[in-house]
Amino acid sequence: MQQILTLQAKEGMSLAKDVLTAEGRVLCGKGTVLTPTLIERFHKMDIVQVTVEGHPISSPGEKSLQEELQEIEERFSEVNKVPPLVYLKKRIMKKLVESRGQ
Amino acid sequence: MEDDKRQEFRTALRQTKNLPTLPGVVAKLTKMADDPDTTTEQMGKVISQDYILAAKLLKLVNSAFYGFPQRISSISSAIILLGFNVVKSLIISASIFEVMEDQDVELWQHSLGCAVVCNVIATRLGVKDPEEVSTAGLIHDIGKVAIKMELPNEYEMINRLVRDRKMTMRAAEMEVLGLDHAEAGGWLAKGWNLPKKLIEPVACHHDPRKASAEQLNSSIIHFSDIVIRGLGYGHAADNKVPMLSKRAWELLNLSAADIDEILAQVDEKLWDVKGFTLEIEAEDSAQAGG
Repeated sequence: MQQILTLQAKEGMSLAKDVLTAEGRVLCGKGTVLTPTLIERFHKMDIVQVTVEGHPISSPGEKSLQEELQEIEERFSEVNKVPPLVYLKKRIMKKLVESRGQ
Repeated sequence: MEDDKRQEFRTALRQTKNLPTLPGVVAKLTKMADDPDTTTEQMGKVISQDYILAAKLLKLVNSAFYGFPQRISSISSAIILLGFNVVKSLIISASIFEVMEDQDVELWQHSLGCAVVCNVIATRLGVKDPEEVSTAGLIHDIGKVAIKMELPNEYEMINRLVRDRKMTMRAAEMEVLGLDHAEAGGWLAKGWNLPKKLIEPVACHHDPRKASAEQLNSSIIHFSDIVIRGLGYGHAADNKVPMLSKRAWELLNLSAADIDEILAQVDEKLWDVKGFTLEIEAEDSAQAGG
């Protein structure tokens, strides 16, 4: 999932998290597919950002999947012989790959 | 290292001349807490007198890392829900992080992230006061701020070692100061009269065996620090995942399935915290601009 600005929201994207009003009420539930009317409504209600499924917006300077995996490898470089931490590393990598999938 | 040099560092860190003093409200509240006739409403009133502090506190309490399903709208309900010790340490964290945020947003993010993981693990293990564990997670690296503020030259040297010789921050601290940020953080927490439940996990987060009463909570902070560094959320000077303490791992007794679920829950909560951090940043820059 990815957190994007409402300005970047496009028809057809689907919400990965509930959109809440300022008072904390659910305005629009997780899983809802965005329509132009909905996006317009978010703007009107001053909702600045929403969280959508997949990773539809790539921003300049964003690291590639390969770079991010390499960074994880580096972060774990001193604990590569500790089985629980190797497991942790693999799961973190797996989650990253999944989150980048559409 | 010569003993008198080390002593000098200890004294500097214990006196903490350059760290912000605690708001007077903390001393007042501590006194009130000792009086059995004090009501939470009275305490809430005292906190609310400092409305900036009260607003910050409510924001922190309502942020994702405490994960309460309902919004907490008053200080007195925060005290009832979180307990006085947590509210007190939150006041302290709010004031210390004000400094930290200006100086080091990345460390602030690392600390927030660590607090989130602590909360998830503590809840999972059925620890009695998970909020206290997340508060300890929030302030676990406070010793780094103390070193930075009190011993700026040594801090520079430590960072140079981390950068040039690829040392971990802790190893560099040991080399330069003969003590590490965990120990320094422990003194600080003690100096602020925080409860032992918070002091030990801060002081022992790199070696939970050293804790006498709070080995489990220290182990939770220890492992949460590992998870949040593994995720690369925020930055705590060096980016290496620290070595896992055998004792901590035994105490936590987590299975592979536990790890998977912890990661999923943390992921979910971090999204919310990220929004919270962005919000603070936006407010700060709005204030700076206007």
